[in-house]
Amino acid sequence: MLEIVDLTVAYGPVVALERVSFTVAEGSVTAVLGANGAGKTTLVRTISGLVRPRSGSIRFDRREISRLSPEAIARLGISHVPEGRGVLAELTVEENLRLGGLCRSDRADRRASVAEAYALFRPLAERRHLPAFTLSGGERQMLSIARALAARPRVLLLDEPSLGLASLVLTQIMARIKQLVQERQLTVVLIEQNARSALSVADDAVVVSLGRVVAHDQAHRLASEEGLRHAYLGF
Amino acid sequence: MQRFFVLTLNGLTEGMIYAAMALALVLIWRATRVVNFAQGAMAMFTTYIALFALERGAPYWLAFIVALLSGFLLGAVVERVLVRPVESAPPLNVVILTLGVLLMLEALAPMLFGGQIRSFPAAFSIVGIRVGSLQVPFSAFDLFSLVSVLLLMALLLLLFQRTDLGLRMRAAAFNAEVARLLGVRVGRMLTLGWALASVAGALAGLLIAPSLLLYPTYMDQVLVFGFTGSILGGLDSPPGAVVGGLAMGFALSYVGGYLGSDLETVGALVILIAVLMVRPSGLLAWRAQRVV
Repeated sequence: MLEIVDLTVAYGPVVALERVSFTVAEGSVTAVLGANGAGKTTLVRTISGLVRPRSGSIRFDRREISRLSPEAIARLGISHVPEGRGVLAELTVEENLRLGGLCRSDRADRRASVAEAYALFRPLAERRHLPAFTLSGGERQMLSIARALAARPRVLLLDEPSLGLASLVLTQIMARIKQLVQERQLTVVLIEQNARSALSVADDAVVVSLGRVVAHDQAHRLASEEGLRHAYLGF
Repeated sequence: MQRFFVLTLNGLTEGMIYAAMALALVLIWRATRVVNFAQGAMAMFTTYIALFALERGAPYWLAFIVALLSGFLLGAVVERVLVRPVESAPPLNVVILTLGVLLMLEALAPMLFGGQIRSFPAAFSIVGIRVGSLQVPFSAFDLFSLVSVLLLMALLLLLFQRTDLGLRMRAAAFNAEVARLLGVRVGRMLTLGWALASVAGALAGLLIAPSLLLYPTYMDQVLVFGFTGSILGGLDSPPGAVVGGLAMGFALSYVGGYLGSDLETVGALVILIAVLMVRPSGLLAWRAQRVV
């Protein structure tokens, strides 16, 4: 459902991604792996429209989206959880969650999204009327993910969700996301530095190195390829 | 004592008007990180539009609404047409651009409406209200000024705190990138922010015109006082703007009353410099500091 074809992205003279191509199937989890600076974040930022590609195309349901604005892409159902500072610190937890649901047209749906988020992420419910800057790093990450899910996205782009999260909480969140993948055919693109944990939840994996795709295969096959693991994944 | 009473009431009325101007500046600062130095000139222009309507026989209230609506439009147009193209340029460019708009409007006004000093009507009597045999130095129009600014503030507060549109506007102002990722059409929100701010400015222009008289630069000092008020309040906080604007009204009224009216503008500058030296982030700065 998400096709990336010959995507090249550059920041001035610095080429961040070069002729990247791969396809993400509906209802699957694709991990994007690679070292720091490999271009993983640039890749998701380009998919969500924050970065304009130099050339190539991104198709969502066969529709070209690489020239659309981030807000238009979000409204098509692609939710991007940015790395680190994704919450609106000045707004309350509840306002953050409400914002997530705002692109849904039905009011009852919006309320349901917020209620669902609290059911899933208990610590947020206790702090619903506090400004988000009072939250811990892990809680902020939770809020970021909960807010993205409140939009009922068709595609979820997760950039380093493990950042600041206790591993138990991360496991719970990933289990819930896997459940959504099965129930609602949610499609997930998961960026991770920690390749081992990402490969354990992903169906497919793409390995990026210095802006190029060096491997694309089923996750369990990549995990068993020793040479690749040593060369790019560091375990 | 009676003198103090008079000056306090006077300060309250003028302070509310400075508060409206400060609020306009803060709304724009929060949304686009620009101090709109043209805010006063825009209010001057819309007040001239009201006068134009009045002279064509429009009733006061129609002219009043026409001025507020043209403020809304002018704010939106300035943001869309002039500020948007330099949005990503260094902040100084945008500041210079707003100064350009200020000069342009102050040059345009005498060409379109004539440069001479004009009187501008008040909605209600400007003679002090009588309580028994005592005449209080507080007129029906002062009361109207007070109520209309309070009403505008209440409406803005409702919009920002209680509606989805307000939530979108705040999100766009706090973090445009994250707001975009959530599907907020940030561009529209910024335009709307400028438009609403200019309504607040236009209201200040209409309310102070009867006492200052109308001429192309009559809002310059109101801008300076409102700006000082917004700095007092911390430039980032709408409640701070209101408190800062009121504080300016009282302070200037006392300076003018006890030390001489020539010293009012100097007084504003002394306050500005003192605040910038002692608490550069504003008197209500604890709000800003808590933000990560």
